[in-house]
Formats: sequence, C-alpha cells, structure tokens
Amino acid sequence: MIQMIINTLASAAIVAPAAVAFTLVFTLFRYANFAVGGFVTVGAFAAWTINVPLGCPLWVAGLGAMVVCASAFALSDRLVFRALRGRSGGTLLLVSIALSFVLENIMRFIYGAQMKGFDLPLTGPITIWDVRITRETVAVVSVSLLAILVVGAILILTPIGRALRAVADNPSLASVRGLPVPSVEVFGIAVAGAMLGLSGTLVGVDLSIDPNLNWAVTIPIIAAAIVGGLGSPIGAAAGAILIGAAEELTVAFLAPTYKGAVGFAVIALVLILRPQGLLGDKVDRK
Amino acid sequence: MDSYLVAILTVAGIYLILALALNLQFGLTGLINFGVVGFYGLGAYASGIATETFHAPFLAGLLAALIIGAIAGALVALLSLRLSGDFLAIVTLGFAETIRLVFNNEDWLTHGPSGFIIVTRPVIAGLSRTATSWMVLGVILLAALLVLLLMMRLADTPYGRVLRAVREDDLVPATLGKNIFMYRLQAFVLGSAIMAGTGSLYAHYVQTITPDNFTTPVAILVWMSVIVGGAGNMKGTVLGALAVVFIYEGTRFIGPWLTMLDAEQISALRFIIIGVALILMIRFRPEGLLPEAYQRPAEAASRITPSKG
Repeated sequence: MIQMIINTLASAAIVAPAAVAFTLVFTLFRYANFAVGGFVTVGAFAAWTINVPLGCPLWVAGLGAMVVCASAFALSDRLVFRALRGRSGGTLLLVSIALSFVLENIMRFIYGAQMKGFDLPLTGPITIWDVRITRETVAVVSVSLLAILVVGAILILTPIGRALRAVADNPSLASVRGLPVPSVEVFGIAVAGAMLGLSGTLVGVDLSIDPNLNWAVTIPIIAAAIVGGLGSPIGAAAGAILIGAAEELTVAFLAPTYKGAVGFAVIALVLILRPQGLLGDKVDRK
Repeated sequence: MDSYLVAILTVAGIYLILALALNLQFGLTGLINFGVVGFYGLGAYASGIATETFHAPFLAGLLAALIIGAIAGALVALLSLRLSGDFLAIVTLGFAETIRLVFNNEDWLTHGPSGFIIVTRPVIAGLSRTATSWMVLGVILLAALLVLLLMMRLADTPYGRVLRAVREDDLVPATLGKNIFMYRLQAFVLGSAIMAGTGSLYAHYVQTITPDNFTTPVAILVWMSVIVGGAGNMKGTVLGALAVVFIYEGTRFIGPWLTMLDAEQISALRFIIIGVALILMIRFRPEGLLPEAYQRPAEAASRITPSKG
C-alpha cells in the first residue's frame, strides 16, 4: 500500500512539471500544445548528452536540459506559433502535433533508436518500515516538488508573475495598463520550456531514454493538466498525482500492459462526469 | 519496376480513401480526428478476424469492418462531440493509442506484435502473382473512386452545405432549426466507417498486419494529404494524396546518395521532411493547393429552385 503511494508520487513527479508547462501555455494562449511530449524527449536527450558523453554530473545535465528546452520552446514559438496566433485552436493543435513528430524524428536522426540511460552511481535503496525507496525516487520527487513550488511562488509573489497572470487573463487590458505583453509572454514560454526540460531529465532518471518517449508521455501530461483544471500549477500537480494513482491501480489490479491507456480513460471519465468540462467554467473559450 | 509502381498506386489508393474520409470529418464539418489510425486499424483487425478466425468471405469481413468502425465512431463522438473541438482531438488521439495497446496485448485475438496473417484476398483465387496484384489494385482504386464520387455528391447537396455551415459557425444552422449534434455525429460516424473499411482493404492487400502498421506516421500522412490538397475540396484531396505518397515514396530514393546515413536515419529524415512540409503548408498556404470553391449564395439558391418551363 505504502509502496503504491511511493510509486504514484514517483510517476506524478515526472509528469507534473510538464503538466504545469502545458497549463501555462494554455492559460497564456488558449490552445492545447501537443508538442509538450516532444520537448520532454528533447530535454531527456539534452540531459543525456551533457551527462554521458560530456561527463558532467546529473544536476548540471538537468539545468542544461532546462536551458536547452527553454530556448527550443521559445524558438518554436517565435518560428511557428507566433505567426499562427489568432488561428483556430484546431489549426494550432495540428501544427503542434506535426512539430512533436518532427522533434521526435530529429532525436531519432541524431541519437538512433537505442535506449539510453544516465550515468548514475549504483546506490542501494533505503528501507524504512519495510518500504523500499530508491535514492533516485527521493531525488525525483523532491526536485519536482521544489520546481512546482518555485513556479507557483513566481506566479503569486513576484511582479513578473503578476504580470504573467494579468496577460493570461486579458492581454489587451494588460497592454493598455502598460505591461510589455510580448516580453511577458516570452518569459512565460521560457518558464514552460524549462519545466519541460526538467520533466525530460526526471523521465531519464526513472525510465530509459528513447525517441518513443514522446507519445508515451504526451497523453499522461495532457490528462494531468485537464484533470487539474487547466488553471494553476498546483492543479496540474494534483492532476499528475491523480493520474499516477490511477496508473498504479491499473498496474496492481488490472493489467500492467494497459498502463498507457489510463490517461485516456481518465480524460474520458472526466468528459462523462463533467461534460461542461473542467475548463468550461473556468476559461472563456473562443 | 512494374510491380513497384503497382504497389505505390495501391498504397496511394488506400491513403486517398483515408484522406477523403478525413476530409468529410475535418474539411467539410470541421471535426478534428487525430485517431485516423485507430479506426483504420480497428477495421483491419475486424476484417482479418472475421475472415480468418471465423472463415467468412471477404465481403463479410469488409462489412464487419464498416459496422465496427461506425460503432466505434459513434462511441467516440458521443463522448466528446458536445464539447469544443480540442476535446475531440484529444479523445481521438487517446482512442488510437488505446486501440493499439489492445492490438499489442490481446494475443489470443490479434496475435500481438508478431502479426496477424490473412490469407483471404478480395479477388478470385488461383491467378498468377502479377495478375492478382493488378486485380487488388483495381479493387482498391474502384473503392477510392466510389468514395470520391460519394463525397463529391455529398459536398454538393444541401446536406453538405449544412455541414459546412456547422463548420463555419454552428449558431447559424442551429438558428435555422438544424440539429447540429446529429449532423456532426453523422459526418463523424460515416467518416470513421469509411476509415475502418479502408483498414479492411489494406489488411487483405498486405496480408500480414501488425500493430505497428497503425501508428502516428500514417495519421500524419493522411492529414498532410487533406491539408496539402485543400480542406473541404474533394478533388484537392486526390491531388494531395497523390502528392504526399509520391513525395514519401520518392524520398526513399535519396538513400543511396546519402551513404553515411543508416536506414533508421533515412526513415527519420523522411518524417522530418514530411512534418516540416506540413507546418510550412499550414503557415503559408492554409487553404491548400486546390482551395475549396467559394459558392455564391445566389448560385446555390437557383440550383434548388425548380426551373420553370
């Protein structure tokens, strides 16, 4: 039982930063960016490159992956999404799926299809009250929690965070009030990109890294963000825990092979139980 | 070379039918279906299981595929159509992924990743290899032609006009007393059934299907066909599907010149080209090569008024 809670937290910790990023982009620009999984994959490979061939410690690799993903995400917005602002949500969705597909194949082109893993020292698990926790799990969960708290604090406490929320709420009003909307948006995108890079690094610690990661993480990330209400980082994190728990229960009581379908099942359930949509009453959709 | 050309044309015919079905859903009605491969795969396996496990003839397999595709389409649509377009996209994508998990894991039914072998062919048995492949091509092109004619007719009817109105602004047809939900549901179900039927044709053409035949790259190629051709224009889809298949198959030949790349890299490079082309198309020419014809209201009105004398 306690083991299941720990497994839940571990998988939630991987998904949560990316779900926060998805939520952030959704609140800022009102579209579902399906390329999040692609950027998580890019982050995982960036971290691997810094960690294994370049031989740097993992925390350097993680920071590096965050920088790489923040830049790549900002670049994708500059080149692709900015020009399409104002187009229908469907168009942006299609473009983001195509982008995800391109990113995945760029990774496959550079790194091949073989699975890769970080260069981690072998450490034994810690045993507390008959529960085995690996040191990696402890690290993954604490780093993820810390990152979400930091993003939450930035959004609530700092002037740039307040500006970001103002822009998300009503960009024209924010602009009239003298906020530099484009730079605030770039800041939001960079934060989202960094969170995607962090998710990529955490995925690499827990699982192996290969280009097929893309679709394996996309559905849980989006499911977590939707369940979390697409409003706040804390909601996205709560959504990630819920999805993680549902996955653990599936593995324990149904079939482990169907873990990948859980995210979809949860989305379907939300649609049946709350057809007005968890976002329907929160965000004014156009 | 001859047999290669036949193979390319057969594949082009299959993509064309899928793209026409998607053009009905997305181009005419504005429904975003990212689960094309889900319905396609469902039809392939349904038909394979009907003909091999239950020894039904090919036509029964095709019928089974159409029915199961329609049921699956109705379920997915009932779940998500009442909501905004983004939800349909998410649900259909999840549907396709889940269906593939089922194909992979239910070995007793689908033989899993090792592949499901289909002996039944859509043509008379006992012909030579070449004659059979030409006949299969004929069957698929005939199916493509039938679907094309059906779609062009549908797009021209008052029914098609309502679908377009639903796509543009569903408030207007709703005000005119049209049941928007039923129109969307019918368009989605018909499209899904056609996709599943295409799966049946594909299964009996390749004769061995694995879950890997029904993955995202196929969906991207189908979407690309619709977007390149021009969403809403059925003739455009023919052009789009041909262009996409020839670009995709054509890039196969860049391999020998790039000797420093291995097969994996060449395949990745082809998908990068396709994906970038799709993004550029949406960015710079969203209406496609053959844009949907603008129908002047007066012209449309005179056609439905009975002429005197």
